[in-house]
Amino acid sequence: MTAIQVTKLRKSHGGFEAVRGVSFEVGEGEIFALLGRNGAGKTTTVEMLAGFQRPDGGTVRVLDLDPVADQAELRRRTGVMLQEAGFFQELTVGQTVAMWRDFTAVPRPLEEALDLTGLTTKADTKVRQLSGGEKRRLDLALATLGRPDVLFLDEPTTGMDPEARKNTWDIVRGLAAEGTTVLLTTHYLEEAQRLASRLAILDAGEVVAYGGMVETLAGRSGRVSFTLPDSVAPDDLPVPASVIDGRAVCQAADPDLAAQTLLSWASERGLRLASLEVRMATLEDLFLEAAGNDR
Amino acid sequence: MTGTAAAFRLSTRLFWLDRGVVFGTVVTPVVLCVGMPVLMGALRPDGVAGAVQTFVGGLAIVLSVSTFMSIVQALTARRDQLLLKRLRTTLLTERQILVGEISGQVVQTVALVAVCTLAVHLAADVPLPRNPLLYAVFVVAGTTVVAILGAAFTALVPRLELAAVMSMPFFLVAGVGAGAMGPFMEMMPTALRMVFAALPTDAVVTVARTTIASGTIAGDLRAALVPAIKLVVWGLIGIFALARWFRWEPRRS
Repeated sequence: MTAIQVTKLRKSHGGFEAVRGVSFEVGEGEIFALLGRNGAGKTTTVEMLAGFQRPDGGTVRVLDLDPVADQAELRRRTGVMLQEAGFFQELTVGQTVAMWRDFTAVPRPLEEALDLTGLTTKADTKVRQLSGGEKRRLDLALATLGRPDVLFLDEPTTGMDPEARKNTWDIVRGLAAEGTTVLLTTHYLEEAQRLASRLAILDAGEVVAYGGMVETLAGRSGRVSFTLPDSVAPDDLPVPASVIDGRAVCQAADPDLAAQTLLSWASERGLRLASLEVRMATLEDLFLEAAGNDR
Repeated sequence: MTGTAAAFRLSTRLFWLDRGVVFGTVVTPVVLCVGMPVLMGALRPDGVAGAVQTFVGGLAIVLSVSTFMSIVQALTARRDQLLLKRLRTTLLTERQILVGEISGQVVQTVALVAVCTLAVHLAADVPLPRNPLLYAVFVVAGTTVVAILGAAFTALVPRLELAAVMSMPFFLVAGVGAGAMGPFMEMMPTALRMVFAALPTDAVVTVARTTIASGTIAGDLRAALVPAIKLVVWGLIGIFALARWFRWEPRRS
């Protein structure tokens, strides 16, 4: 069943069209990644899904609700971790979560919320004394306090150290395993690749790539690279290659096969392909290609 | 706990946690509203009459500092620090957030006015209002209207640093109009006096003056009619402006 349905969504700020006809669907219990460069329209899209901004065109349904018209019901069933939102600096972590329980329909117990996000030892620390990563964990504690059916996470691990990031991934996976639908925006492509089962890449307010993570990556070429021997010209190689900074780079749908072909060819000629690297397509390749970062 | 009650509790708690705000919006106006009448009562030849005049004028200062300037400061800070944005992610509706904030300011100011009224009675012999109910109704209604106007005014404040500076003119105009800063009104042309008399704080000052002076209940009610109309009109203007222009987030640069 579909938890989030976005169809031909449009939004302008002043004369600038931030979102231009975006469409995608997210299934129940799925972790979906919305990727794109800064200014691609990710946050504007998330804010329309969460009901903070009214779309100029197109339709949005979250849990079959209109985020603007059915805002009260939507708030009961969703959690939002905004990219930027303030805290009451003079309250402690425990006081903040306890206060938030007053604003939440069926909140988790305080101890559970702190434990879930690894903030138990910080319960008596004032928010202004927390590091950036700890504030993001508090953000997550507030967003998940009401056991939401749909969770919007806008850059959830920004500022976290590697361990906290990994813990956050575990939390997100755990919530998804319990049936929570997660829509995630992130700058960390590794994060998206590890967590999400499906993705959409936005560029200049439009979807430029969309689908299942595995299928989308399988459709992209991998790469074989090595230091080109002095006596060899790129045209001599048995597979098409270009030379970048003295390294031959071959794009291939099946990089393993391309590597075998190259090694056999080199062996027959007594050549050594130094620093050989074989790499399947990654989300980074897809992102750079789709979002046009290499332009 | 209802959403409005939760928002009220939050607003009140945050207010008392901020010592700078407490000093500026509680200590200063109370010192002015109580200290000046006591001083006037002791120094001026008309004694109690002078203290009464200064005290009712001081009510305009309490309303403008403890309510108007305080809510402008609080809401602008919460908007610029993206706290209002965060609150909107919760079950609280926009109306509950604003009503909680406004009612927090109203309760605090009404409590201050009650303290000041008792203090000047004990320290400067200013009579207690003959008609405490009418006095209380106008203090509550006037404070509410001023708080609504303050909340609406934040739409004009581009950033927190300018909140105090931009709300200062209201304090000066309300204080001068109420006679709290000396007998300036006696020197002003009639047209300008009418402008000052149209202020929402003047409605509270007028009814306070009436209920403290000798008179009858019927006379009090007649005197309260025009101030009541003023408060209704200002209240409607404030609610319209709040609904139309209130900003939940800082302007995008």
